[in-house]
Amino acid sequence: MSIVSPVPPPEVPGAGVEIRVGPAGPIPGPLRFLGRALRTLWSNRKASIGLVILGLVILVAVFAPLLAPHSPTATTFVPYQNPSATNWFGTTGNGQDVFSQMVYGARISLLVGIAAGAMATLVAVTVGLIAGYRPGVIDELLSFMTNLVLVIPGLPLMFILAAYLQKRSVWTIVFVVAFTSWATGARVIRSQASTLRTREFVTSAVFSGEGLFRVVFREILPNMTSLVAGSFFSAATAAVMAEASLEFLGLGDPNTVSWGTILYYAQQQNSLLTGQWVLVFAPGLAIALLAVSFTLINFGVDALSNPRLREK
Amino acid sequence: MGLRAMRYVARKVVLFLITLWAAITLNFILPRLMPGSPVDAALAKLASSGQPITNAERRAVEIQLGVPHTSVITQYWDYWTSIVHLNFGTSYSFPSETVAQTIGKAAPWTLALVGVTTIFAFIIGTLLGVYAGWRRGKAADTSVTLGATFFAAFPPFWLGLLLLYVFAFTYGWFPIKGGYNPGETPNLSLSFLTSAVYHSVIPALTLAITSLSGWVFGMRNNMINTLGEDYVTFAEANGLRTRTVALLYAARNALLPNVTAFGLSLGAVVGGSVLVEGVFSYPGLGNLLYIAVVNHDFPLMQALFLVITVAMLVAIFIVDLLYVRLDPRVRQ
Amino acid sequence: MRRLSHAKSMTICAAAAVLALVGVSCSSSSNNGTAGSGTLTIQGDSGNPTLVENFNPFQGSQLHGTNLIYEPLEIPSPIDGTYTPFLATGYKFTDPKTLVYTIRQGVKWSDGKDFTPADVVFTFNLLKKYPALDGKGVWQQITAVSASGNDVTLNFSTPNVPFAISIAQTEIVPEHLWTNMADPTKDPNINPVGTGPFTLGAFAPTQYSLKKNPTYWQADKIAPSEVLFPAQASNQSTNQLDVVSGKFDWSYNFLPDVKTTYVAKDPAHNQYWFPPGGTIALYLNLTKRPYSDVNFRKGLSLALDRPTIALKAVNGYLDQASMSGLILPNLNKWLDPSLPNQGNVKQDTSAAQAAFTQAGYTSQGGKLVGKDGKQASMTIVMPGNFSDWVAAAKEVVNQLGSVGINASLDLPQYAQYSQSIQAGTFDAAIGGFGGSGDPYTDYSLALSSSFATPVNTPTANNFERFKDSSVDQALSTLASATDSSTQMQATYTLEQVMYTKIPIVLMYYGGSWGLFSTKRFIGWPSAANPYTLPTSYNNSLLTVLTHVTKA
Repeated sequence: MSIVSPVPPPEVPGAGVEIRVGPAGPIPGPLRFLGRALRTLWSNRKASIGLVILGLVILVAVFAPLLAPHSPTATTFVPYQNPSATNWFGTTGNGQDVFSQMVYGARISLLVGIAAGAMATLVAVTVGLIAGYRPGVIDELLSFMTNLVLVIPGLPLMFILAAYLQKRSVWTIVFVVAFTSWATGARVIRSQASTLRTREFVTSAVFSGEGLFRVVFREILPNMTSLVAGSFFSAATAAVMAEASLEFLGLGDPNTVSWGTILYYAQQQNSLLTGQWVLVFAPGLAIALLAVSFTLINFGVDALSNPRLREK
Repeated sequence: MGLRAMRYVARKVVLFLITLWAAITLNFILPRLMPGSPVDAALAKLASSGQPITNAERRAVEIQLGVPHTSVITQYWDYWTSIVHLNFGTSYSFPSETVAQTIGKAAPWTLALVGVTTIFAFIIGTLLGVYAGWRRGKAADTSVTLGATFFAAFPPFWLGLLLLYVFAFTYGWFPIKGGYNPGETPNLSLSFLTSAVYHSVIPALTLAITSLSGWVFGMRNNMINTLGEDYVTFAEANGLRTRTVALLYAARNALLPNVTAFGLSLGAVVGGSVLVEGVFSYPGLGNLLYIAVVNHDFPLMQALFLVITVAMLVAIFIVDLLYVRLDPRVRQ
Repeated sequence: MRRLSHAKSMTICAAAAVLALVGVSCSSSSNNGTAGSGTLTIQGDSGNPTLVENFNPFQGSQLHGTNLIYEPLEIPSPIDGTYTPFLATGYKFTDPKTLVYTIRQGVKWSDGKDFTPADVVFTFNLLKKYPALDGKGVWQQITAVSASGNDVTLNFSTPNVPFAISIAQTEIVPEHLWTNMADPTKDPNINPVGTGPFTLGAFAPTQYSLKKNPTYWQADKIAPSEVLFPAQASNQSTNQLDVVSGKFDWSYNFLPDVKTTYVAKDPAHNQYWFPPGGTIALYLNLTKRPYSDVNFRKGLSLALDRPTIALKAVNGYLDQASMSGLILPNLNKWLDPSLPNQGNVKQDTSAAQAAFTQAGYTSQGGKLVGKDGKQASMTIVMPGNFSDWVAAAKEVVNQLGSVGINASLDLPQYAQYSQSIQAGTFDAAIGGFGGSGDPYTDYSLALSSSFATPVNTPTANNFERFKDSSVDQALSTLASATDSSTQMQATYTLEQVMYTKIPIVLMYYGGSWGLFSTKRFIGWPSAANPYTLPTSYNNSLLTVLTHVTKA
């Protein structure tokens, strides 16, 4: 279990979520599927707030070169300046423009969140589905691996791995976070898959001679889209927070400009002491907002899977 | 206990032992994969002042720290021997005491700080969750869940920094660092305990605020699920007062899944506060672990990982065994 | 910063304690209401997270206060090398291989026993018996030690006059107690008995105190009756907040914008003195191309705007470093007058381009491209937590970028940094140079070819792996010279090598971050009275505490 993940996983099989179960209809095209999912999420008030925040962050990240008034790495300004007309958020101890750094920093945090979330989800779905659908040795083996990763404390393991990998880059963090945060999702997906395995529509598919992959990916997976999405957004939240933690400790890539490294340098240069609280406040708040947006979207996903959680 | 349950328990025990072996072996491998040597870290203080280090100084430190030159297989054998004897050797960063002593001194601080914080976060979070679930869809529910979501998204070390800055540095209401007054030796006297409590207030507040939300959401969702069950509807229809329904039936049943999550989370308690303890220089295991990683202190790091991992393993094992009693379906 | 009255702060903290559901009442956490009581508080050792009791002066893990309990023979000023006598009253080289100290009489150990020259002989023989204790490498240089009357004679294996600096600073321990110690390499010596001005008072996990030794041989010079060493945290920014909140009479800490963050908190009493204590340099791996080419190094050196680097790294508290390798103005008397501008190099990008062209690199579209068609690039390694080095390196990266070199940072933990510079696997590294107060020691460690091991064979010095016979010649001349004109000439040669061959690109002076309060004690080292560096972790402690007086 990842320490940074604030939400305890639903450990009891079937306790937290109940899923509409039935044979999946024809799978729609990916774009239409995404559109429908977004529409459904949009109808949930909390999820819609999350989508707005996430959309804003994405826009900032995409249009960073247009939005940032200065280069994020240029050390041309007077160090330790408070906010002014030129430097809206002040300058760092190295004479860099904090506002421009914040704008460019959105790219890294977003990238790490989405990439690590996707990677962790991919591993979680693969391991969880196979383990859930194949009881016996394979399940035992995969569940054993899952449990092993679960019991190794997440954050300390991240420190060690990050320190171990000599050439540090953003992808190091993505890899480390993905490696340490797939197990929770895998466990949930496995228990759901093993429940579905015994349902009639799956058994009938098996009797009709469908292969393993077809059964798993056509019959079982579509019935837990929301679980998969939930595991993605949980992992993405964890990744955003983990990135900030690793970079804050100086275990990230010092050459990148991200919200985590801004916090790291703010701590190194003791911005609180020099009275530049914006340098500490702004990146932390931005990280929190991004994490909030993922969590809020996850509420919508939960509501999709569990009609009882739906807002009236 | 039936035969089937016995078999389930036996299987769990075997699995527990294999996991224990694998985790302990992983603990052995991981630290050794890290680059650098502890001798260099020990010389860091000297170099940070801009002073060069002579070969003679280096050799002296090397002789003292006893850098293992033996083969990996021998080291693995020694590792197991020492674990069996609960002897974790002497750490590089704390050469004058055994690792067991170092950990022994730090463990109570983390257990007290994070353990107590978790218990309070659990109680308050669960109560808020029950309330939000009961008032689902109402303004009270929205404000509780949104508030909890927002607080949960704060990086704990960041919230800690802000609280430290405002309450300890700017206003001076609380101490800036440490677990107790400098000059005091840990004991059970009233003056020491009050100073310990005083020093723990902001770190505890930081951890409680950021860990509250998990319990709120877990409980809220369980409440909503349980409120939809037939027996609750039945009880309501039977004319019991709604408050009684909520507390006696729904909350009690919704609590079960949250209790098992609580067991798991206690296992994570030990490793959970690395950054927060770091920000406040709190004398606990989290701070110790960070120091060990930075100093490449193999014996200390190994032992800390062992303590944390075994704690989590045992917690999960107990939860697994509890399933036998709580959920008969598991036995199938 | 606002200070609340005690009563009010008690109420608030009790209320907050209840809020956090840990409800007990609050205690006063004040340990510094000691004005007028003669207690001097020094920001102490790093407690990680608690202090480890160790007063063994030879183990390397001893607490700072050990410097006030044991005394060496003499202490050379880290600024200009001038000796202050302690347990010796003087020394002389009867020849370049024989060093004789005259031992002070009438000194007592703090347990009442007499201190004698036999204790000095015993101490040096102890280092011989236990090489792990011989951190200064004394027995790599001397062959015998003996006493006769009040004199202690040390015989050297080779002429090495400058080595007296290491002999003089060896702390002397009592024979009558240490002879019974089972294993001095392991014993933390928790009941220290020394000749120094203080004895151990109370030890607690986060603070220890020393009490004035009433029988100290110059007790009249010691003002404080007690010295407190509260432990530092491992977290540097927390320590800075601690310093600023006014707990200490003397602390050693870099502070950004010190006039605002420290002096302004108590303008009447808070003082700072940040003298140069070493040189921060860009080390280049001379076993790799193109760094092995002196023209390329010259180009690099000319491309750097050192005052800006110093401004970014150390807030401009310190100046750019002279390329002579001397810390100026401390060592002005050694400076070769023929060096232009005292060896300070100004940024000159066109001269830099000319030098790069000589090295086979030309500027093409803003990139410095070599004959192989590739852009010149380098990775600069330094420990990630040395924030001033990192700030300097970031500026270097930008400045090299503007001459077309693609430089990037690598910020590992210290251990990994140390491993890569010692093994010689780095491209470029930020590192310290000099700072001993003695030119021979500085140059010898950084330039002597005896340290230049092959790549992948670790060395603790001369990381750049510089080899030059004229340097080795000048070093051996300097080692055996006892007259000052020979010493000067040999030093001039070394300065010229540093200036023209640029084995190391010196950038700016690293600071010694002394922060003082004159509320309770005065007489701290300062620019006006620079009797030692304000380092509170070595034997400068002894020097300072024999100077301060009550306010």
